[in-house]
Amino acid sequence: MMQLLWNGLIVGSFYALVALGYSMVYGIIKLLNFAHGDIYMLGAFVAFFTLNSFGIEGSSSIPLLLVMLLLAMVTTGLIGVGIERVAYRPLRKSPRLAVLITAIGVSFTLEYGVRSLFGANPEAFPIRFASHGFELAGMRITGAQVTLVIIAAVLMLVLAHVVERTRAGRAMRAIALDTQGSQLMGINVNRTIAVVFFIGSALAGAAGVMAGAYYGSIDFLMGFIIGLKAFTAAVIGGIGNLYGAMLGGLVLGMLESFGSAWFGGEWRDVFSFAFLILFLTFKPTGLLGARVVERM
Amino acid sequence: MPHGSGRRMRLLQIAAAAALVLATAGCSGGLAGGGDKASSDAGPIKLGMIAPFSGSESAFGDYMKNGAQLAVDELNADGGIDGRKLELVVEDGACDATTAVAAANKLVTEGISVSVGGYCSGSTLPTLPIFDSAKIPMVIPAANSNKLVDAGLPGVFLINGTGTQQAQAAVKYAQKTGIKSVATVDDSTAYSVDLAKSFAEQAKAAGLTVPFTSTVTPGESDYSAVATQLAKQQPEMVYWTGYYQEGGLIVRQATDAGFKGEFLVGDGSVDAKFAQIAGKGYTDKVLGTFTQTPDMLTGADTWIADYKKLAGAEPGPYSTQSYDAVRVAAQAIKDAGGTDFDKVVAGLKGLKDFKTFAGPLTFTDQGTRTSGGFVIVKIDPATGNFVLADDLQG
Repeated sequence: MMQLLWNGLIVGSFYALVALGYSMVYGIIKLLNFAHGDIYMLGAFVAFFTLNSFGIEGSSSIPLLLVMLLLAMVTTGLIGVGIERVAYRPLRKSPRLAVLITAIGVSFTLEYGVRSLFGANPEAFPIRFASHGFELAGMRITGAQVTLVIIAAVLMLVLAHVVERTRAGRAMRAIALDTQGSQLMGINVNRTIAVVFFIGSALAGAAGVMAGAYYGSIDFLMGFIIGLKAFTAAVIGGIGNLYGAMLGGLVLGMLESFGSAWFGGEWRDVFSFAFLILFLTFKPTGLLGARVVERM
Repeated sequence: MPHGSGRRMRLLQIAAAAALVLATAGCSGGLAGGGDKASSDAGPIKLGMIAPFSGSESAFGDYMKNGAQLAVDELNADGGIDGRKLELVVEDGACDATTAVAAANKLVTEGISVSVGGYCSGSTLPTLPIFDSAKIPMVIPAANSNKLVDAGLPGVFLINGTGTQQAQAAVKYAQKTGIKSVATVDDSTAYSVDLAKSFAEQAKAAGLTVPFTSTVTPGESDYSAVATQLAKQQPEMVYWTGYYQEGGLIVRQATDAGFKGEFLVGDGSVDAKFAQIAGKGYTDKVLGTFTQTPDMLTGADTWIADYKKLAGAEPGPYSTQSYDAVRVAAQAIKDAGGTDFDKVVAGLKGLKDFKTFAGPLTFTDQGTRTSGGFVIVKIDPATGNFVLADDLQG
């Protein structure tokens, strides 16, 4: 029982980090960025490429991981900004469907771009979290898992601080409420949206590096399923709501953990996507979301 | 099978396949039109091979193609069959049913005489009726699900031992080492489910207990559910019948969760990447059931050297089986004195102790080999490669 909770928390932290970007982008420009999961994949490959170029292998040092984390965050953040500039901004005034289709196009471009660069085979990630397990309150916990949860928590705290306490954060919230009104008040909308894309993509990139170091295997399609799961988490939590995304990620992690324990591993995805449908049917605003006028 | 995103990959691949078909139709228009028979009697004898060159199993495609090509080159150097050269035609099956069916249709229109391909059972199965109705015998090098022969098609022959024979080897190993309780984990693909089921049945029949069987979805990273279950039930050995990517993750996560038993893997997981993904220190108790590869055989040095000269890379899993498949097909065509379906099938059935890498080959009435040739392999901690641990003889 406690073990299931802990397992759920680990997976949930990945989902939460990726869901944050989904939710922020949706909150500010009402776009479901289906390429977001592939940014997660890019994060893992940026670190993989860097480590490979320096010939680092089999290491498990935390400082090295943090450096890789930072590097991947900056890179994927910039890529996110670039994607917004090239693929989404020109279409901002177009029908929602056009942007949605573009997002899927971007997703394919990233996936098969990485495939042509790195090949289709899964690659072993060069650095690994050290994994010494210990027992606590009926749970088996490894050092890797603790590190993972701490990094995820720190990233989320920093994000909450940025959104709640900084000027940029205030601008984001203003644009989310009323884009044209904010423009009239002198807020640089384009720049703020770029910042949102930077932060969201950086978080996804960080999650990708952590997944690489935790699970140890990366491939060009690794972002697809987690993208869908993060979307589900964002919906469960209330899409557009930051704390909703964190909560949704954790809830989805728990649901999967308990679902696969009760029904068997093959039912895990059935179970979590059934919950997506239930939420969309009965509580489309999610757990923490406010009612928004549907513009899609 | 590829990941959950198979549908999207498939779309792309269909598009790619369509483009390919269009492109080739454009340049071969004159030949494809009429007298297939007339041209096939004089021109080279075409052997078709469907193998994965894209998708999660794409590494195996090149191993198979190069192995087959080596056999074709050797046979051609010896003058071919009755003065006719052999030609290998390769198509990408991507380990995906839709893509493989399109590839099979393409091979049929190209006028192949024998199919010497088939890696993933799940994508090989739907191609069988296509080859069967086109009267093309199939010598399948890698795929080995029992379902391939269950349909009872007359032209299906398996070079690799079946799931049943592989499971037999696994049970034999368990009995030999005194293991009493075993569990199975499969990845829900045809090959994997088949092997797990067959193993569980034979294990029970042999008096072992099977406390649980479990299934996971391939393409995910988190397998903590099955890891927790293994740690709780602590069977003495678990048989993982899926592919190496998930296998590496599961052995690591199960060990972290506190599972202490042995980890036996099926031939789909026997790859050097397994140890890389699992990580150092996680592979001490990993063993596999496998048909022998050239590096495990004594006296295969010349073969390996020839292969390297052709491919510019080391041979890998199913290089030898593909090499053998071509030689088996060629021998049958030679014995049949032509490429007529019934005669070639009779030729294949008539093979007696044909020399292959996995031992002398004779086909049973079902088209499987009379002896499986499976051995137990283990991971060499220094290199991460699978090496021979027990040949299960005696």
